[in-house]
Amino acid sequence: MGIGPLEVNAHGLRALAPHPWEARLYRRDAPEVNQHGELAHPVLHLANFALPPGRGDFGTGAVEVMGPGHVFVSLLEFERAEAFRPLFAHRGVPRPRPSDFGANALQRRLPGQGGWQGFFTENGRPFCLYVVLGSLRQAHRLVPQVHGVLDELRIGAR
Amino acid sequence: MTALVVVEAVLLAVLVVLVAGLLRAYADVLRRLRELADGIAGSHSRQSAPAPFRVTPGLPEPAATEDDWPEAHDVAGVGPDGGVITLRTAGVEHDTALLFLSTGCASCATFWDELRRPLELTASTRVVVVTRGPEHEDPVEIAALAPPGIDVVLSTQAWSDYGVPGSPYVVLVAGATGRVRGEGTGQSWQQVHALLSRADGGAPAGAGATKPRADRERESDVDRELLAAGILPGDPSLYQVQALDQ
Repeated sequence: MGIGPLEVNAHGLRALAPHPWEARLYRRDAPEVNQHGELAHPVLHLANFALPPGRGDFGTGAVEVMGPGHVFVSLLEFERAEAFRPLFAHRGVPRPRPSDFGANALQRRLPGQGGWQGFFTENGRPFCLYVVLGSLRQAHRLVPQVHGVLDELRIGAR
Repeated sequence: MTALVVVEAVLLAVLVVLVAGLLRAYADVLRRLRELADGIAGSHSRQSAPAPFRVTPGLPEPAATEDDWPEAHDVAGVGPDGGVITLRTAGVEHDTALLFLSTGCASCATFWDELRRPLELTASTRVVVVTRGPEHEDPVEIAALAPPGIDVVLSTQAWSDYGVPGSPYVVLVAGATGRVRGEGTGQSWQQVHALLSRADGGAPAGAGATKPRADRERESDVDRELLAAGILPGDPSLYQVQALDQ
Protein backbone atom coordinates (compact mmCIF):
# COMPACT_ATOMS: atom_id res chain seq x y z
CA MET A 1 0.00 0.00 0.00
CA GLY A 2 1.26 3.47 -0.81
CA ILE A 3 2.17 4.98 2.50
CA GLY A 4 5.92 5.06 2.01
CA PRO A 5 7.92 7.91 0.50
CA LEU A 6 7.94 8.31 -3.25
CA GLU A 7 11.25 9.14 -4.89
CA VAL A 8 11.91 11.25 -7.93
CA ASN A 9 15.43 11.26 -9.25
CA ALA A 10 16.52 12.92 -12.48
CA HIS A 11 18.55 15.82 -13.84
CA GLY A 12 20.76 15.81 -10.77
CA LEU A 13 17.81 16.32 -8.44
CA ARG A 14 16.56 13.77 -5.95
CA ALA A 15 13.57 14.25 -3.70
CA LEU A 16 11.63 12.00 -1.37
CA ALA A 17 7.96 12.80 -1.04
CA PRO A 18 6.61 11.49 2.28
CA HIS A 19 3.02 10.33 2.42
CA PRO A 20 0.73 11.97 1.33
CA TRP A 21 3.05 14.18 -0.71
CA GLU A 22 3.57 13.55 -4.40
CA ALA A 23 6.07 14.96 -6.87
CA ARG A 24 6.63 15.87 -10.52
CA LEU A 25 9.99 16.56 -12.09
CA TYR A 26 10.11 17.86 -15.64
CA ARG A 27 12.05 20.11 -17.95
CA ARG A 28 10.75 23.55 -18.77
CA ASP A 29 11.23 22.94 -22.47
CA ALA A 30 11.89 19.96 -24.63
CA PRO A 31 14.25 19.06 -26.18
CA GLU A 32 17.15 19.69 -23.81
CA VAL A 33 18.45 22.66 -25.83
CA ASN A 34 15.81 25.24 -26.69
CA GLN A 35 15.64 27.54 -29.70
CA HIS A 36 18.00 30.02 -28.04
CA GLY A 37 20.63 27.37 -27.55
CA GLU A 38 20.01 27.37 -23.80
CA LEU A 39 19.69 24.28 -21.71
CA ALA A 40 16.16 23.40 -20.69
CA HIS A 41 16.22 23.48 -16.92
CA PRO A 42 14.35 21.14 -14.61
CA VAL A 43 11.39 22.08 -12.45
CA LEU A 44 10.43 20.09 -9.37
CA HIS A 45 6.94 20.27 -7.93
CA LEU A 46 6.08 18.81 -4.54
CA ALA A 47 2.68 18.96 -2.86
CA ASN A 48 0.74 17.29 -0.09
CA PHE A 49 -2.37 17.16 -2.28
CA ALA A 50 -3.28 15.80 -5.70
CA LEU A 51 -1.31 17.88 -8.19
CA PRO A 52 -3.53 18.68 -11.17
CA PRO A 53 -2.10 18.40 -14.68
CA GLY A 54 -1.29 21.44 -16.76
CA ARG A 55 0.34 23.45 -14.00
CA GLY A 56 2.51 26.48 -14.53
CA ASP A 57 6.08 26.42 -13.25
CA PHE A 58 5.03 28.52 -10.26
CA GLY A 59 1.98 26.42 -9.56
CA THR A 60 -0.73 28.16 -11.55
CA GLY A 61 -3.50 25.62 -11.91
CA ALA A 62 -2.56 23.95 -8.62
CA VAL A 63 -2.75 26.79 -6.09
CA GLU A 64 -6.37 27.42 -7.08
CA VAL A 65 -7.44 24.00 -5.80
CA MET A 66 -5.45 24.12 -2.55
CA GLY A 67 -7.20 23.71 0.77
CA PRO A 68 -6.13 25.31 4.04
CA GLY A 69 -3.94 22.36 5.02
CA HIS A 70 -2.20 22.09 1.67
CA VAL A 71 1.35 23.02 0.71
CA PHE A 72 2.87 23.51 -2.73
CA VAL A 73 6.63 23.64 -3.35
CA SER A 74 8.31 24.52 -6.63
CA LEU A 75 12.04 24.33 -7.27
CA LEU A 76 13.19 25.95 -10.51
CA GLU A 77 16.71 25.92 -11.87
CA PHE A 78 18.14 28.93 -13.69
CA GLU A 79 21.04 29.52 -16.07
CA ARG A 80 24.34 28.49 -14.59
CA ALA A 81 25.75 31.99 -15.24
CA GLU A 82 23.15 33.34 -12.80
CA ALA A 83 24.93 31.58 -9.95
CA PHE A 84 27.42 34.42 -9.76
CA ARG A 85 24.78 37.11 -9.36
CA PRO A 86 24.03 38.49 -5.89
CA LEU A 87 20.47 37.22 -6.08
CA PHE A 88 21.74 33.64 -5.88
CA ALA A 89 24.47 34.35 -3.31
CA HIS A 90 22.90 32.11 -0.65
CA ARG A 91 24.60 28.72 -0.55
CA GLY A 92 22.52 25.62 0.16
CA VAL A 93 18.77 25.01 0.25
CA PRO A 94 17.20 27.69 2.47
CA ARG A 95 14.62 26.93 5.16
CA PRO A 96 11.88 29.56 5.33
CA ARG A 97 10.41 30.49 8.71
CA PRO A 98 6.68 30.86 9.27
CA SER A 99 7.12 34.60 9.67
CA ASP A 100 8.72 34.78 6.21
CA PHE A 101 5.45 33.94 4.49
CA GLY A 102 3.05 36.58 3.28
CA ALA A 103 0.34 37.29 0.74
CA ASN A 104 2.58 39.71 -1.14
CA ALA A 105 4.99 36.93 -2.09
CA LEU A 106 2.31 35.00 -3.95
CA GLN A 107 2.65 34.76 -7.71
CA ARG A 108 -1.10 34.39 -7.81
CA ARG A 109 -2.80 36.11 -4.92
CA LEU A 110 -5.59 33.99 -3.49
CA PRO A 111 -7.52 34.60 -0.27
CA GLY A 112 -5.92 33.16 2.86
CA GLN A 113 -2.83 31.80 1.14
CA GLY A 114 0.72 32.74 1.96
CA GLY A 115 3.84 32.54 -0.18
CA TRP A 116 7.60 32.73 0.08
CA GLN A 117 10.32 32.82 -2.51
CA GLY A 118 14.05 32.26 -2.00
CA PHE A 119 17.05 32.08 -4.29
CA PHE A 120 20.16 30.05 -3.72
CA THR A 121 23.02 28.13 -5.33
CA GLU A 122 23.91 24.51 -4.70
CA ASN A 123 26.73 22.66 -6.46
CA GLY A 124 27.16 25.61 -8.77
CA ARG A 125 23.51 25.44 -9.84
CA PRO A 126 21.27 28.48 -9.21
CA PHE A 127 17.71 27.81 -8.05
CA CYS A 128 14.53 29.56 -7.06
CA LEU A 129 12.53 27.90 -4.30
CA TYR A 130 8.88 28.95 -4.20
CA VAL A 131 6.48 27.76 -1.50
CA VAL A 132 2.73 28.35 -1.15
CA LEU A 133 0.79 27.60 2.02
CA GLY A 134 -2.92 26.94 1.73
CA SER A 135 -3.49 28.97 4.87
CA LEU A 136 -1.17 31.68 6.11
CA ARG A 137 -2.76 31.31 9.55
CA GLN A 138 -1.56 27.71 9.70
CA ALA A 139 2.03 28.60 8.79
CA HIS A 140 3.41 27.27 12.10
CA ARG A 141 1.84 23.88 11.38
CA LEU A 142 2.62 23.73 7.65
CA VAL A 143 6.17 25.09 7.48
CA PRO A 144 7.66 22.12 9.39
CA GLN A 145 6.21 19.90 6.64
CA VAL A 146 8.08 22.01 4.09
CA HIS A 147 11.30 21.63 6.07
CA GLY A 148 10.79 17.88 6.19
CA VAL A 149 10.60 17.71 2.40
CA LEU A 150 13.54 20.08 1.91
CA ASP A 151 15.65 18.00 4.31
CA GLU A 152 15.35 15.09 1.87
CA LEU A 153 16.18 17.16 -1.20
CA ARG A 154 19.52 16.39 -2.81
CA ILE A 155 21.05 18.55 -5.54
CA GLY A 156 23.97 17.07 -7.38
CA ALA A 157 26.06 18.29 -10.28
CA ARG A 158 24.38 18.04 -13.68
CA MET B 1 -66.36 -76.82 -13.67
CA THR B 2 -63.25 -78.04 -11.92
CA ALA B 3 -61.10 -76.62 -14.70
CA LEU B 4 -62.76 -73.20 -14.28
CA VAL B 5 -62.05 -73.21 -10.54
CA VAL B 6 -58.44 -74.13 -11.18
CA VAL B 7 -58.03 -71.29 -13.72
CA GLU B 8 -59.59 -68.78 -11.33
CA ALA B 9 -57.33 -69.98 -8.51
CA VAL B 10 -54.27 -69.53 -10.72
CA LEU B 11 -55.36 -66.04 -11.78
CA LEU B 12 -56.02 -65.11 -8.18
CA ALA B 13 -52.59 -66.34 -7.17
CA VAL B 14 -50.98 -64.30 -9.98
CA LEU B 15 -52.92 -61.17 -8.92
CA VAL B 16 -51.86 -61.67 -5.32
CA VAL B 17 -48.23 -61.88 -6.41
CA LEU B 18 -48.58 -58.73 -8.55
CA VAL B 19 -50.26 -56.73 -5.80
CA ALA B 20 -47.64 -57.85 -3.30
CA GLY B 21 -44.91 -56.77 -5.70
CA LEU B 22 -46.51 -53.36 -6.22
CA LEU B 23 -46.92 -52.81 -2.48
CA ARG B 24 -43.30 -53.77 -1.91
CA ALA B 25 -42.06 -51.38 -4.63
CA TYR B 26 -44.19 -48.59 -3.19
CA ALA B 27 -42.77 -49.21 0.28
CA ASP B 28 -39.25 -49.13 -1.18
CA VAL B 29 -39.92 -45.74 -2.83
CA LEU B 30 -41.30 -44.31 0.42
CA ARG B 31 -38.30 -45.62 2.35
CA ARG B 32 -35.85 -44.05 -0.09
CA LEU B 33 -37.70 -40.72 -0.05
CA ARG B 34 -37.53 -40.70 3.75
CA GLU B 35 -33.81 -41.47 3.66
CA LEU B 36 -33.31 -38.62 1.19
CA ALA B 37 -35.26 -36.17 3.37
CA ASP B 38 -33.35 -37.28 6.46
CA GLY B 39 -30.05 -36.84 4.62
CA ILE B 40 -30.82 -33.25 3.55
CA ALA B 41 -32.04 -32.36 7.01
CA GLY B 42 -28.89 -33.86 8.50
CA SER B 43 -26.73 -31.93 6.07
CA HIS B 44 -28.47 -28.65 7.02
CA SER B 45 -28.03 -29.35 10.69
CA ARG B 46 -24.32 -30.03 10.24
CA GLN B 47 -23.74 -26.89 8.10
CA SER B 48 -25.93 -23.87 8.87
CA ALA B 49 -24.37 -21.61 6.19
CA PRO B 50 -25.09 -22.17 2.51
CA ALA B 51 -22.45 -23.76 0.35
CA PRO B 52 -19.65 -21.27 -0.42
CA PHE B 53 -19.91 -19.29 -3.65
CA ARG B 54 -17.43 -20.32 -6.29
CA VAL B 55 -16.53 -18.65 -9.56
CA THR B 56 -14.95 -20.23 -12.55
CA PRO B 57 -11.27 -20.93 -11.92
CA GLY B 58 -9.14 -18.11 -13.28
CA LEU B 59 -11.63 -15.34 -12.54
CA PRO B 60 -11.09 -13.04 -9.54
CA GLU B 61 -13.16 -13.98 -6.49
CA PRO B 62 -15.46 -11.23 -5.18
CA ALA B 63 -14.32 -9.83 -1.85
CA ALA B 64 -16.55 -10.46 1.15
CA THR B 65 -15.76 -7.25 3.03
CA GLU B 66 -13.98 -3.99 2.32
CA ASP B 67 -10.97 -5.28 4.20
CA ASP B 68 -10.71 -8.06 1.63
CA TRP B 69 -10.55 -5.63 -1.30
CA PRO B 70 -7.13 -5.56 -2.94
CA GLU B 71 -4.69 -2.97 -1.67
CA ALA B 72 -4.00 0.00 -3.89
CA HIS B 73 -0.56 1.07 -5.01
CA ASP B 74 0.77 4.54 -5.66
CA VAL B 75 1.76 5.14 -9.26
CA ALA B 76 5.23 6.15 -10.37
CA GLY B 77 6.46 6.52 -13.92
CA VAL B 78 7.21 9.06 -16.58
CA GLY B 79 5.04 11.34 -18.62
CA PRO B 80 4.95 11.44 -22.42
CA ASP B 81 7.36 14.41 -22.21
CA GLY B 82 9.84 12.38 -20.17
CA GLY B 83 9.03 14.09 -16.88
CA VAL B 84 9.05 12.04 -13.69
CA ILE B 85 5.59 11.53 -12.17
CA THR B 86 4.55 10.16 -8.80
CA LEU B 87 0.87 9.95 -7.86
CA ARG B 88 -0.73 9.06 -4.56
CA THR B 89 -3.77 6.81 -4.66
CA ALA B 90 -3.86 5.38 -1.14
CA GLY B 91 -4.45 7.16 2.14
CA VAL B 92 -5.52 10.38 0.47
CA GLU B 93 -8.67 12.47 0.35
CA HIS B 94 -9.45 11.83 -3.30
CA ASP B 95 -10.44 8.69 -5.18
CA THR B 96 -8.54 7.69 -8.31
CA ALA B 97 -9.77 6.14 -11.54
CA LEU B 98 -6.83 4.45 -13.22
CA LEU B 99 -7.44 3.84 -16.92
CA PHE B 100 -4.97 1.32 -18.27
CA LEU B 101 -4.80 1.98 -22.00
CA SER B 102 -2.42 1.32 -24.84
CA THR B 103 -1.84 2.66 -28.32
CA GLY B 104 -2.17 -0.70 -30.00
CA CYS B 105 -5.59 -1.94 -28.90
CA ALA B 106 -8.58 -1.04 -31.04
CA SER B 107 -10.94 -0.86 -28.06
CA CYS B 108 -8.74 1.77 -26.43
CA ALA B 109 -9.41 4.23 -29.25
CA THR B 110 -12.91 4.84 -27.90
CA PHE B 111 -11.51 5.58 -24.44
CA TRP B 112 -8.84 7.98 -25.78
CA ASP B 113 -11.58 9.80 -27.68
CA GLU B 114 -14.01 9.92 -24.75
CA LEU B 115 -11.34 11.33 -22.45
CA ARG B 116 -11.18 14.45 -24.57
CA ARG B 117 -14.64 15.34 -23.34
CA PRO B 118 -15.64 16.18 -19.74
CA LEU B 119 -16.03 13.01 -17.70
CA GLU B 120 -18.99 12.22 -15.49
CA LEU B 121 -17.12 11.87 -12.24
CA THR B 122 -17.31 13.44 -8.85
CA ALA B 123 -14.96 16.32 -8.23
CA SER B 124 -13.05 14.23 -5.71
CA THR B 125 -12.12 11.58 -8.27
CA ARG B 126 -8.87 12.01 -10.17
CA VAL B 127 -8.60 10.31 -13.55
CA VAL B 128 -5.18 9.01 -14.56
CA VAL B 129 -4.33 7.22 -17.80
CA VAL B 130 -1.65 4.59 -17.32
CA THR B 131 0.12 3.01 -20.27
CA ARG B 132 3.00 0.57 -20.23
CA GLY B 133 6.43 2.11 -19.90
CA PRO B 134 8.61 3.57 -22.66
CA GLU B 135 10.11 0.13 -23.25
CA HIS B 136 6.69 -0.95 -24.60
CA GLU B 137 5.05 2.26 -25.77
CA ASP B 138 6.21 5.16 -27.93
CA PRO B 139 6.03 8.35 -25.81
CA VAL B 140 5.55 10.46 -28.94
CA GLU B 141 2.51 8.42 -29.92
CA ILE B 142 1.17 8.63 -26.36
CA ALA B 143 1.69 12.40 -26.36
CA ALA B 144 -0.41 12.68 -29.51
CA LEU B 145 -3.26 10.74 -27.88
CA ALA B 146 -2.95 12.27 -24.41
CA PRO B 147 -6.14 14.15 -23.55
CA PRO B 148 -5.71 17.66 -22.18
CA GLY B 149 -6.26 18.08 -18.47
CA ILE B 150 -5.60 14.44 -17.57
CA ASP B 151 -2.40 12.96 -16.22
CA VAL B 152 -0.87 10.30 -18.46
CA VAL B 153 1.76 8.07 -16.88
CA LEU B 154 3.91 5.49 -18.62
CA SER B 155 4.48 2.83 -15.98
CA THR B 156 4.90 -0.89 -16.52
CA GLN B 157 5.24 -1.24 -12.76
CA ALA B 158 1.69 0.03 -12.25
CA TRP B 159 0.36 -2.59 -14.68
CA SER B 160 2.16 -5.22 -12.65
CA ASP B 161 1.07 -3.82 -9.27
CA TYR B 162 -2.59 -3.89 -10.25
CA GLY B 163 -2.41 -7.19 -12.15
CA VAL B 164 -3.87 -5.66 -15.28
CA PRO B 165 -4.84 -8.51 -17.64
CA GLY B 166 -4.99 -6.31 -20.75
CA SER B 167 -6.23 -3.02 -22.09
CA PRO B 168 -8.57 -1.30 -21.81
CA TYR B 169 -8.92 -1.87 -18.07
CA VAL B 170 -10.19 0.45 -15.36
CA VAL B 171 -9.38 0.34 -11.65
CA LEU B 172 -11.20 2.55 -9.17
CA VAL B 173 -9.27 3.20 -5.96
CA ALA B 174 -10.88 4.52 -2.80
CA GLY B 175 -8.37 7.01 -1.47
CA ALA B 176 -9.58 6.98 2.12
CA THR B 177 -9.25 3.22 2.54
CA GLY B 178 -6.43 2.65 0.06
CA ARG B 179 -8.37 -0.25 -1.43
CA VAL B 180 -9.49 -1.13 -4.95
CA ARG B 181 -13.22 -0.47 -4.96
CA GLY B 182 -13.89 -1.83 -8.42
CA GLU B 183 -12.18 -2.92 -11.59
CA GLY B 184 -13.11 -4.20 -14.99
CA THR B 185 -13.18 -3.60 -18.68
CA GLY B 186 -15.68 -2.66 -21.33
CA GLN B 187 -16.18 -1.17 -24.75
CA SER B 188 -16.26 2.44 -23.56
CA TRP B 189 -15.60 4.60 -20.54
CA GLN B 190 -19.33 5.26 -20.19
CA GLN B 191 -20.00 1.54 -19.97
CA VAL B 192 -17.24 0.86 -17.49
CA HIS B 193 -18.19 3.86 -15.38
CA ALA B 194 -21.79 2.68 -15.21
CA LEU B 195 -20.66 -0.77 -14.05
CA LEU B 196 -18.37 0.71 -11.42
CA SER B 197 -21.15 2.99 -10.22
CA ARG B 198 -23.52 0.06 -9.79
CA ALA B 199 -20.85 -1.93 -7.99
CA ASP B 200 -20.41 1.03 -5.69
CA GLY B 201 -24.12 1.12 -4.91
CA GLY B 202 -24.61 4.43 -6.63
CA ALA B 203 -26.63 5.39 -9.62
CA PRO B 204 -25.07 4.58 -12.94
CA ALA B 205 -23.71 7.39 -15.01
CA GLY B 206 -26.46 8.93 -17.00
CA ALA B 207 -29.22 7.80 -14.64
CA GLY B 208 -31.68 10.29 -13.29
CA ALA B 209 -31.74 13.92 -14.29
CA THR B 210 -28.47 14.65 -16.02
CA LYS B 211 -27.51 17.66 -18.03
CA PRO B 212 -26.85 17.45 -21.74
CA ARG B 213 -23.18 17.11 -22.59
CA ALA B 214 -23.11 20.57 -24.20
CA ASP B 215 -24.24 22.11 -20.91
CA ARG B 216 -21.59 20.27 -18.93
CA GLU B 217 -18.90 21.32 -21.39
CA ARG B 218 -20.09 24.93 -21.25
CA GLU B 219 -20.06 24.91 -17.44
CA SER B 220 -16.61 23.37 -17.45
CA ASP B 221 -15.34 26.10 -19.78
CA VAL B 222 -16.89 28.84 -17.63
CA ASP B 223 -15.39 27.37 -14.44
CA ARG B 224 -11.97 27.22 -16.09
CA GLU B 225 -12.21 30.85 -17.23
CA LEU B 226 -13.33 32.00 -13.78
CA LEU B 227 -10.50 30.14 -12.06
CA ALA B 228 -8.00 31.58 -14.52
CA ALA B 229 -9.29 35.03 -13.64
CA GLY B 230 -8.86 34.31 -9.93
CA ILE B 231 -12.59 34.12 -9.23
CA LEU B 232 -13.23 31.26 -6.85
CA PRO B 233 -16.50 29.75 -5.60
CA GLY B 234 -18.15 32.18 -3.22
CA ASP B 235 -16.49 35.24 -4.73
CA PRO B 236 -18.72 38.30 -4.04
CA SER B 237 -18.46 39.42 -7.66
CA LEU B 238 -20.51 36.37 -8.65
CA TYR B 239 -23.49 37.67 -6.73
CA GLN B 240 -23.47 41.36 -7.65
CA VAL B 241 -26.58 42.57 -9.41
CA GLN B 242 -26.30 45.62 -11.64
CA ALA B 243 -29.00 48.24 -11.18
CA LEU B 244 -31.28 48.41 -14.18
CA ASP B 245 -32.12 51.72 -15.74
CA GLN B 246 -35.67 52.62 -14.94
